[in-house]
Amino acid sequence: MSELALPSDNMALGTSVPKHASKPVGKSGGVVFTSMIERFGDEIYRFACQLTGNGVDADDLYQETLLKAFRAFDRLAADANHRAWLYRICSNTFISDRRKHGRVAPMSDVLAETLTASSPDPAGALDARDLLRDVERFVDDLPPKQRVALVLRKHHEYGYADIAGILNSSEAAARANVHEALSKLRGAFAHRLEV
Amino acid sequence: MGQHDLSRRNSALNGSASDFDPDVYRISPLDQFMTNPDALHSSISQGTIPSNLAELATDPETDPCDIAEAAMPDLVFGDLAQTDAEWVRDHTVTCNYCANILIGLEHVCSSLDECADAADQRAATRRPSATECLGIPEARYGFMETPVGDVLIATSDDGVVEVSYLENSDTYESLRDLERRGYLVYERQHEVRPVVDQLSEYFALQRNRFDLPIDLGGVSDFTRSVLLATNHIPYGKVRTYGEVARAIGKPKASRAVGNALGRNPIPVIIPCHRVILTSGAMGWYTGGPEIKRILLDIEGVHYGARQRTAQQTLGFEL
Repeated sequence: MSELALPSDNMALGTSVPKHASKPVGKSGGVVFTSMIERFGDEIYRFACQLTGNGVDADDLYQETLLKAFRAFDRLAADANHRAWLYRICSNTFISDRRKHGRVAPMSDVLAETLTASSPDPAGALDARDLLRDVERFVDDLPPKQRVALVLRKHHEYGYADIAGILNSSEAAARANVHEALSKLRGAFAHRLEV
Repeated sequence: MGQHDLSRRNSALNGSASDFDPDVYRISPLDQFMTNPDALHSSISQGTIPSNLAELATDPETDPCDIAEAAMPDLVFGDLAQTDAEWVRDHTVTCNYCANILIGLEHVCSSLDECADAADQRAATRRPSATECLGIPEARYGFMETPVGDVLIATSDDGVVEVSYLENSDTYESLRDLERRGYLVYERQHEVRPVVDQLSEYFALQRNRFDLPIDLGGVSDFTRSVLLATNHIPYGKVRTYGEVARAIGKPKASRAVGNALGRNPIPVIIPCHRVILTSGAMGWYTGGPEIKRILLDIEGVHYGARQRTAQQTLGFEL
């Protein structure tokens, strides 16, 4: 089945053309932009949400990723790895945004502060939210490259060779980024575990 | 190895071995990991050393805790072989220091999972569509069989954007052309139905003008002006490239007019087949001369198979 057949809406309302719905992609065949997004958009958006930690920034990052991908799509080789390519654009955009603008307060910060101020929550629920907020803040404080590497390894089942490809680094550096991120987070949590 | 030997060996490893002694300068496979823990990290995953941690740990010059600690991220990610994972866990039973590290890492991982769940919930609620992200129009396409072969048809909210002969341009290239013109393409056969209907009537000699809006987005200004002028040539009539050039106020541009017509994204509907050479010969055509001949034939402009001039039969004014 060709890639192009993916976005079919199967609603050919009885026109005399169903055989063309499976029209071969043809001599030079390849993936068009929209097929690529329909196939990988969900996981790239999820990646953007994990990197930014809030919906508004995730939408911006995802939109910027798609814009860059659309502009550069012509330069991409037909047999390229579209998935890794999108991850790479998204990662680079995130990293360079962070370098330019620093981080912004994650949405959960604002949310959690509002909630603590306004609603009398059971102490347990508050602790859980506190903890989650702390994790997000620690993760947010990681250097962007380490954060990207950690998210790719932890939540997208990418191996170090793939992460190296996405970050344009050596495999050892990709690995070091992930390990460094983990040990920083562990250090940040140490006081909680001692209690 | 005594204290003295150790310091000599270390200075040798650090490259300042003025007192170089082949016996001391002995690098066991593990030495590089003592001096460079990163090398151990990468070696374990790359399999460049026997990834048998239990065996590595038996080396008297190695601190098993170093090995356990270096291997722990792989353990929590599930990358370690089962025997190695068991060795690390066994080690943490007897070693408080390493046990604390492992507990910390596992805690970090489960917290990260919770954060990821929160992010997934956000991601699941609403992903912006490509159309929203890019702010460019959609072109919905479908297919049709015609007497001049299979064609791909695409329409936007503003009108017909594309009719492609698939005999000489494949679907992929046609769609990529649309993307280069700035459209997002989606296959929606039912949306091209009005175009299919009118084209069917045209080929069945039941229609002599198309009642369809056209959308020439992403087409250059010059080409657009040529195509719009061409769109005024009535059914069953022909004009020369020179006449079209004069019609757009660029009388010397007949060659450029020919090139522009060659880029007509909506053939048949924008009747570039009605533009011929001044000699009366049919001239070039996007879909090939045979298709041009068939279209003109449908409209009552007859060219023989050997492409004689149509001038006499038509009597149009030059």
